Formats: sequence, C-alpha cells, structure tokens
Amino acid sequence: MITVDKVSKTFHAPHEVKALQNVSCQVAKGEVVVIIGPSGSGKSTLLRCLNRLEHADTGHIYIDGVDILDRKTNINKVRAEVGMVFQSFNLFPHKTVLENVTLAQMVVRKRSPKDARDKAMALLEKVGIPDKAAVYPDRLSGGQQQRVAIARALAMDPKVMLFDEPTSALDPEMIGEVLDVMKALAREGMTMVVVTHEMGFAREVADRVIFMDQGCIVEEGTPEHFFTNPTHNRTKLFLSQIL
Amino acid sequence: MARASQQMTRGAYAFWVMVFFVFVFGVVAALYYATRKVDYVWRWYRVPQYFLYKEKAEVRSEIQGRVQDVVRNGDNVLIRVQGDGQTAQYTVPAKDIRVDAGETVYPGDVLGVFVRWKVGILMQGLWLTLKVSLISILLGIVIGLIAGLARISSNPAFKWSAVTYVEIVRGSPLLVQIFIWYFVLGTVINTLLAKNGMAQLPPIWYGVASLAFFCGAYVAEIVRAGIQSIHRGQMEAARSLGMSYPQAMRHVILPQALRRILPPLAGQFISLIKDSSLLGIIAIRELTKATREVVTTSLQPFELWFMCALLYLVLTFGLSMFVQYLERRTAVS
Repeated sequence: MITVDKVSKTFHAPHEVKALQNVSCQVAKGEVVVIIGPSGSGKSTLLRCLNRLEHADTGHIYIDGVDILDRKTNINKVRAEVGMVFQSFNLFPHKTVLENVTLAQMVVRKRSPKDARDKAMALLEKVGIPDKAAVYPDRLSGGQQQRVAIARALAMDPKVMLFDEPTSALDPEMIGEVLDVMKALAREGMTMVVVTHEMGFAREVADRVIFMDQGCIVEEGTPEHFFTNPTHNRTKLFLSQIL
Repeated sequence: MARASQQMTRGAYAFWVMVFFVFVFGVVAALYYATRKVDYVWRWYRVPQYFLYKEKAEVRSEIQGRVQDVVRNGDNVLIRVQGDGQTAQYTVPAKDIRVDAGETVYPGDVLGVFVRWKVGILMQGLWLTLKVSLISILLGIVIGLIAGLARISSNPAFKWSAVTYVEIVRGSPLLVQIFIWYFVLGTVINTLLAKNGMAQLPPIWYGVASLAFFCGAYVAEIVRAGIQSIHRGQMEAARSLGMSYPQAMRHVILPQALRRILPPLAGQFISLIKDSSLLGIIAIRELTKATREVVTTSLQPFELWFMCALLYLVLTFGLSMFVQYLERRTAVS
C-alpha cells in the first residue's frame, strides 16, 4: 500500500536540520504501523511526507502504486485517498460539526448535499457524537473535536489513515475515547500509520512498530519483539526513559 | 472593565459626566462668543435651501397667436395656442393660470406659473460623494482581494507585481495620484478615444479609478494580513482532504479571514469617504466642492462648513454601523 524508498528531507530554515536520512519502509494493506521515537526524530516529518504536506528532497514514495513525488501526479487525488488526523485537530471553526464533515465530500468528491449529509451522520454515529452535529467546534471538548476530525477524514473513504500524534494535545481523561475510535478502525482492517507516544496503544493494536531517532529508522518489528526484546541500545534507552 | 482598574464611586462618576458636558457646552459657547465678537451673523435658516428648495417656474408661449381653449384636465390645464399656420399645446398646473381663451399672446408671454421642489446643490454633492465612495469601495475590494492573494502567491510575477503596486500607491500622496489619473492618464486615454472617434470619459471615471486603486492597495495589505493570521493548520487540513489551493482558500481560509479583517476594512472605507473630498480638484462636484461653491455665493462659511463636516460624519457613521452589523452577523455563535 505504501512504499517509502530512500527518502531524505532537510529543513533549511531557521537552521539546517536533517529531518529524514535515507528512510525506507513499507506498509501493507490493512496493516497498522506505529512510529515512535523521541521528539525531533523525524517521525512527524515522515508521516507528513506521505501525503506531501512536506515535499521529500530525494527518494520515492508510492501510495497504492502511485509515485506521489512525480510532478505529473495529481496530488489532490492522492490526498483524497489518504486521510490525515492532526495533533491540533484543525477543525474548521466557521463550520458546524456536520459541515466540517460534509465540506470536502461535496467540494472534492462532488457528492450531493444529501449524500454527504447521510455519510456524515453515519460517521458521527460511529465516532459517538451524532448529537453534536449542529454545534460549532469551539463548543466541543478536545476529545470530541478529535473524533470529529477522524470522521471528517473518514468521510472521504480513504484507503490509508495517517495519525500525527492524535492524542498529544488532549487532557488525559479524553485520550481513551479517541484511542477507542482508532482501535475500532484498526479492527475493521483500515491501513493506518500512527505517530504516537501511547505505548499501550502500540502494544495492543500495532502490527508493527517503527522506532526512529535523528532522522533514521533505528529498529522495526512486532510489538512483542519491540517492547520485550529490543536489539538496539538506543531503543533500550528510549524505552527505559518512557516506560 | 475600565472601571475595575479605576475604582470610582457613583457620585464621583456622575460628577465627571457633568464635567464632560460642561466642557463641551463651554467650548461651543466660547466659539459662538468669539464669532459674535468678529461680527459674524449666524443664519442657519439659510442652509436648508441648499438641500431642497422651491423653484418658481413659468410656462411661456413660444409662438404668437390666439389662445384657442383652456381645458381643465384633473389638476392640470391644457392650453392650446393657435398661431399663423401653427399650433402649440402647453400643460400647466391649474393653480395659477394667467390667460383666458380668446386672448392674444406673443412669444415669451407667461401662460401660467407654478412652484416645484428642486434638489439643492449640497444634496447633489452629498449624493455624488456617496455614489463615488460606494463604487470606489466595491472596486477597491475586488482590486485589493486580487492584489492580496497575488501578494502571498509563490509565483514571483504575481507577488512582485502586487508588491510594486502596493508600495507605489501607498508611497505617494493621493492628491498626486488623482492628478496623474486625470491629467496624465486621462489626457492619454481621452485623446486615444477621440482619435478613434469614441466618446470621452468624464472626470468622474478617473476620480473613481484613482480612489479605487488607492483603496485597493490598503485593502490588499489588510487581506494579506488577514489570510496570514489564519493558522496554517487550517490550510493543511483542507489540503489533506484533497482540496486544491483555490478550493481551500474559498471554503476554508477566506471565510475565516473575512471576519477578522472587517474592522480594519471599515476603517479603510471610512478613510476613503473622507478622501473623496479631494476629487473637487478635478471638477467633480462632490460634497466639499459643492460646499465651497455655496460658500462663495451665500457668504455663510461658518454654517456651511459645519454642515459639510456633519454630512461626512453621517456617511462615515452610517458605514461603521453597517460594518458592525455585518460583524455581528458573521460572528460564530
């Protein structure tokens, strides 16, 4: 489903940072991959490269066989197939919850207002907040906002979902409700790439864990291998600091 | 809020309110006293005629002949004059008829007199100021929106064009720009039009163009700042859903930016209404030019200039009320 082939990315401003150095990895269809690592390790950058919010300097990235770094690729088409959930939710504050979920369906997928609405209500039902459809995002708790953001991404019927630290901006008591939605999604067979610090989630849901440090993939493997028997010293050190 | 930081008892508050009114009254009284000292006679009753006045109109015969008949037709009277091989008909309000059937009239003889209301020169000036300002504001919004979007574009042709336009317009006096629009561009365009046998453009077009382009430069900067004040996560979220840049601008960024830029835009439009007073120098008789003309004929400068200022205040206050209404309407619950 996703193939990352020797991708590098360097940020020049405000000072030079080699965010990704020759990173290669693959994600199969239906697989849940969790990327963990200390801050500044390049894990968010890697995720953002997958839908070209960041443009990789070198290398190739294929989504469902399409080379997204090719100039001839229509990136909007690719992005419609790749849902993304942000750390800071990024709901549209001038639209109601329902409108947040219907907007892109109508603008990008050209669905009729009625179809978009039906789809949106079904998804709001699924993430557990159909009763908030008519309110504006600023009336919702962080957990509710993030669930709306997930519904908004799912409304495009994506083939892949990318999660960029979806629970990092939440109060502790709201993390569970968002993780529950993500677990349900994983059980349905959605292909997911998740950047997170939630080790419990990684252990329980992930098919594979990737550990990154300083722009490189240090280690990858099953959660059992990763949490109980890591090979690299850097992984051991990181785990000892957070667990 | 203001009183939380500056505690004041009720009595003290009432006292200082009184002080304010005494101060205002004192200034007005002092001004009035000073004008009386220089023998100025205030004649406010002369002002209304420049808004609306009664004009006495006379209907005169254009030919020599005999009044054939005078026929009443509702409130009007139809007078028919039979001359040498020609007839003429005149419709006159019935109130004041000066001829009877059978009388002989000569060219220039008064057949009837009536009184009608006419719009005065100040009213005309006010209307023209309002018209010029509104058209300039609408054009200024269009120009400013385009220039503002070009300003944040990554395409150097668009970006540098917008920067050049904004810097040139903001960096030179409006008065000079009006002269350039009228005396330079106006001469060139009108001469070209004349050479091709087309009608000339009246000065008001150049006036509107100068104000619209002047306003547009400021609107462009306001639009740019408004768009840049929207968190970039909004653009990322919209793009990650597959929207193109124009779609994301239209549905996500601009609606949010518009709400934030309404207050500074209102300030800009109020400036524009006031700046339109400069158009008098290119023979556009807007409110200030009209006032100047009335002052020369009436010799009542004090009343008229105060009246002129008051009329501008009415326009600008009306506009700022309208924008406040828009702000309330676009505010998210």
